[in-house]
Amino acid sequence: MKVNLDINNRIYKTYIDADEALLSVLRKLGYKSVKKGCDTGACGVCSVLIDGKPTLSCQFLAARAEGHKITTVEGLGKDADEIVDAIVSEGADQCGYCGPSLVLTTYAMKKELKDPTIEKIKHYLAGNLCRCSGFEGQLRGIKRYMGVK
Amino acid sequence: MRFEKIVKPKNFETALKILKDDPDSVILGGTTFLRLSDKKYSTAIDLADLDLDYIIENEDNIEIGAYTSLRTIEKDTIINKHFGDLLPKAVEHIIGVQFRNNAKIGGAVFGRLGFSEIITALLVLDCELQFEENGIVPFAEFVSNWKIKRDILKKIVIKKKPGKCLYKMLRTSDADFPILSVAVSNFDEIKISVGTRPSIAKLSQEASRMINSDNSKIIEASNLIVKEFTFGDDMRASGKYREKIAPVLVSRALQEVLS
Ligand SMILES: Cc1cc2nc3c(=O)[nH]c(=O)nc-3n(C[C@H](O)[C@H](O)[C@H](O)COP(=O)(O)OP(=O)(O)OC[C@H]3O[C@@H](n4cnc5c(N)ncnc54)[C@H](O)[C@@H]3O)c2cc1C
Ligand code: FES
Ligand code: FES
Repeated sequence: MKVNLDINNRIYKTYIDADEALLSVLRKLGYKSVKKGCDTGACGVCSVLIDGKPTLSCQFLAARAEGHKITTVEGLGKDADEIVDAIVSEGADQCGYCGPSLVLTTYAMKKELKDPTIEKIKHYLAGNLCRCSGFEGQLRGIKRYMGVK
Repeated sequence: MRFEKIVKPKNFETALKILKDDPDSVILGGTTFLRLSDKKYSTAIDLADLDLDYIIENEDNIEIGAYTSLRTIEKDTIINKHFGDLLPKAVEHIIGVQFRNNAKIGGAVFGRLGFSEIITALLVLDCELQFEENGIVPFAEFVSNWKIKRDILKKIVIKKKPGKCLYKMLRTSDADFPILSVAVSNFDEIKISVGTRPSIAKLSQEASRMINSDNSKIIEASNLIVKEFTFGDDMRASGKYREKIAPVLVSRALQEVLS
């Protein structure tokens, strides 16, 4: 079926299978920052923003994405750089596989949490699994980015 | 889950007709659970054009549309005002924000999953479901009998009542499935529900009767839970372990609602 997808403010006219996940379509369109991990909704590495809300693209049907604004980390521009700098300055990333989803979720969290605390940050990021780092370094960087002591 | 085509009906009559005429059709929620199965369907029915994403308060009830996301429920102030953190606590550990932004209450209820925390919580509220074909069905009846297999869930209607309610669970890590879930309310009377045993949540009869007849019998009523329910094994915990945990969670919950 034919769909029009708004990805990072660019309209793509593309053909998809009716049951195809948004994750698969994004990767075919070249958005390789969107990773495939568990493909069951448990790890978070496939996260994108749909109308600004973090959403698992492995579970979201591409056919339902029409009419919504999809944002990948490529679409965040300078905001992504700021978050990446905060994480990297703590020496936190190892393989980097979880990085794009963590950056996107952190970006959405900053907009959503009016009064961030360390507990709220941890809770918000509970769905972002990192297989190598042990989370502490990333958390230090993100805490600083969120303005939490 | 595989399917050949996806349709977006413009009204409930059309959606129900497709569901009834084609035994291989399926209603889509957020597809978080549907996607895990290998099942092949012919037609996927997307209810997105039927305005099912809302939480409204009227004089007697709170109504939650079937396409309301678990994340919306977690953050909603109307729900919070009337039922405290019962519902937020029952959903806030389901994977992460990204998951809950997409999973919908309709799917969480209609899926009737054994480990469903929202079912444990809704059981202690005075709650009904509204279906397109079957009309209004009490929530506890829907959960305990499997008569309704193919219908469209439109909304969940919860009666507003003064009183207290709360949810407790045990899980080994944040985004894992729970090992046990318990909800207790004290509106007209005390209700206790126990879920993830690992089978689907159920309301207590005997322990509730005991605590309603004598509010001081918290320990006795909590211990009765072990006799009243069966607890089974799964990869997260043994039935024996659940038997030890259940009275602890129930007695803590009873103490809090009675305080
Ligand atoms: C990895 C993972 C971890 C999970 N962990 C937990 C947990 O810790 N605690 C917990 O309580 N739950 C947990 N769940 C279950 C989760 O809550 C459900 O997957 C989710 O709520 C289902 O919602 P959905 O909108 O995605 O439904 P779907 O998967 O789309 O649908 C589920 C079922 O409901 C039907 N359906 C959906 N909407 C309607 C409607 N309006 N009318 C009629 N039928 C309908 C569908 O046809 C399907 O049969 C987990 C699930 C996954 C995949
Ligand atoms: S790939 Fe989507 S949650 Fe793991
Ligand atoms: S740095 Fe390797 S998965 Fe996070």
